[in-house]
Amino acid sequence: MSEPVVVDHVTKKFAGHTAVDALSLSVPAGMIYGLLGPNGAGKTTTLRMIMDIYEPDSGTVRLFDTVAGGRAHSERIGYLPEDRGLYPKMRVLDVLIFLAETKGVSRRSAREKALEWLERLGLTDWRLRKVSELSKGMQQKVQFISAILHDPELVILDEPFSGLDPVNSQVLRDTVIDYRRRGKTVLFSTHIMEHAEKLCDRLCIIARGKKLIDGTLAEVKRTHGGKHVIVAFDGSQGGAQQIFGDRRLVAKIQDFGQQAELEIAPGADAQEILKALVNSGARISHFELASPSLHKIFVDLVGPEAATAAAVPGHAERVGAGA
Amino acid sequence: MHKVWAVIRREFVERVRTKWFWVSAILGPVLFAGIIIFQIMQSIGGAVRDIAVVDSTSSDFGTQVVEALGTSKVIRATKIPAGPHVIDSLTRLVEQKELNGFLIVSDALKESGKAEYRASNLSLQTIEELQRALNRLIVKVRLEERGVNPAVVDWAQNLRVTLDQKKIARGHVTSESAGQSFALAYVMAILLFMAILLYGVNVMSSVLEEKTTRIVEVLVSSLKPFQLMLGKVAGAGAVSFFQFLIWGVSARLLISLRVPIARMLGADASAAQSIQLPHIPFATVAVFMAFFLAGFLLYSAMFAAVGAMSSNEQEARQAQQPVTYLLMISYLSIIGLTNDPSSTFAKTLSLVPFTSPIATPVRWTAGSMGTGELVTSLAMLLIGIVAVTWVAARIYRVGILMTGKRPTMKELVRWVRA
Repeated sequence: MSEPVVVDHVTKKFAGHTAVDALSLSVPAGMIYGLLGPNGAGKTTTLRMIMDIYEPDSGTVRLFDTVAGGRAHSERIGYLPEDRGLYPKMRVLDVLIFLAETKGVSRRSAREKALEWLERLGLTDWRLRKVSELSKGMQQKVQFISAILHDPELVILDEPFSGLDPVNSQVLRDTVIDYRRRGKTVLFSTHIMEHAEKLCDRLCIIARGKKLIDGTLAEVKRTHGGKHVIVAFDGSQGGAQQIFGDRRLVAKIQDFGQQAELEIAPGADAQEILKALVNSGARISHFELASPSLHKIFVDLVGPEAATAAAVPGHAERVGAGA
Repeated sequence: MHKVWAVIRREFVERVRTKWFWVSAILGPVLFAGIIIFQIMQSIGGAVRDIAVVDSTSSDFGTQVVEALGTSKVIRATKIPAGPHVIDSLTRLVEQKELNGFLIVSDALKESGKAEYRASNLSLQTIEELQRALNRLIVKVRLEERGVNPAVVDWAQNLRVTLDQKKIARGHVTSESAGQSFALAYVMAILLFMAILLYGVNVMSSVLEEKTTRIVEVLVSSLKPFQLMLGKVAGAGAVSFFQFLIWGVSARLLISLRVPIARMLGADASAAQSIQLPHIPFATVAVFMAFFLAGFLLYSAMFAAVGAMSSNEQEARQAQQPVTYLLMISYLSIIGLTNDPSSTFAKTLSLVPFTSPIATPVRWTAGSMGTGELVTSLAMLLIGIVAVTWVAARIYRVGILMTGKRPTMKELVRWVRA
């Protein structure tokens, strides 16, 4: 059981619009795997097919080396869907117990574990409140608890960080990392590359339903690399813009204003660029030779035109046509 | 199975926890107690009506009317000769509640049979009593006019026919009156209609809640949509059974307490004993519960599908209309059913699955249905449930994950076929 999730040439169409197109990926056990892509790339549809909510039109999904879908393994899988939702009128503790029961956990142990997790995420005082009385962030934490309460071997998180403040984001990240430390597998989707870069062992970037690249973070960076330089300015940029525009020195640039990420042109040298910048009168506070950031790779691969979903008239509001 | 059980349990517990449940649980017995108290108050009576008889006849007919009403327990009559402003002043007295009403008799009564009664409250009992007295008098006067001996007329009118009513139901003669079995059938039909509609709509809103909060996505990742639907329907059904149980037990309790209640109200025990209760045989209760359960399953499956295909309350309210109309057919046929439970119309309704949950118990209660027919009706209904649930489950399966605009008829057909 080295690969809990294997997606093999899976295609899913919605009334003529192809949400996922012959996608293959495999998630090795004990890793944090990131499914990355712009909005509308087919991330949610892929995860839903893994979870057995949608049936693929063609191709197969194998979970834990069987062809049985996610529902058959629901005891071993935790799922946080993109559209968050809990029963607004139920008490927090009751919701958690109920959802754990639907995953086959007994009432008693569900109760114990729910209390444990509520304590751990600082929600103990809210356990007897109605869900509707909680803030959005708190509701999201409750939902996260519901995904991992039954201690599954595999957790599938669809955009887990959206809507969380930095503090809660950190709590969630710690929990995910801790989860991996205990030998569990985490598959999560995001379009925010900073999260992916900090968390992923392996990743897969998709756009318009197709895979663009996958592998470990290091592999992706190596194969999609080129030499990179990160420059930060301290006030005056001097003649920097002119140098950035010089295709003999700089192949590509991501300009963030006070900071820029440069891909060095073939044959050029980082020292040359630094010298040119200093000579142009720019005040430099930071100059670093770096591997490209995931963000840079992502933007390069996906491109500005593919960063938005292909609009298909009349189907935009459908579930599943989304990310 | 453990998972379905969890869904049933949640549905039951959360519903029973609502205020709405307890309000209706308490409202039933309160209403029932009200009926008992009302009946006791009625039998204590005291409700003697004061009326005036305005006499404009030339023959002093009014005096005879007052005499004839003298034997009445509910009417106390006084004769007043007709005058220019009598009607106005009597009307004022009625308005001031000093007088219950007044009867106007004129010479025309003898020829046309017409008299007039004006009152603030036209109670059926008073009117029947007045009509009976006037009838007797008019017959007597008219016979006397043609020279018949008054003594003979009195003798002839002294006999009243009473009709001893016996009902033949499935080979047994019972002493249940036609009125009683009519009332029982009617009450049952209304109860069935209300319960199926209310709890069916409950299933719908519960499905809709799961859909709009999107929690359904988590649920269908661990349960099959059909299991989820089954759990919801069973949970809501259990709540309605619980509700009926509360009503039944409290009604039973109130009836056994009717003598103490009567004493508290200052009436004697006989007043309480006089409260008429139709005898409800066990078979009737069983038929009622069986058809309620079956009808509920049939309709709540449809309501679940309606909830699944809608994405908000307004849409659901619109989409539920066809289902409600289907149920309304049987509701609107109740009068026809109870009036003639063995007509072809009634027989047809008790065979069609959509109307039989109400029509069959009504016909059974009215005693116009054999066991064979009952079994056929139930079998048809069960087939109907399987077919409807199959279609509903397929709509439900696709619908719960859809958002956006409501599906068209064509799309629905595609969902069912898929």
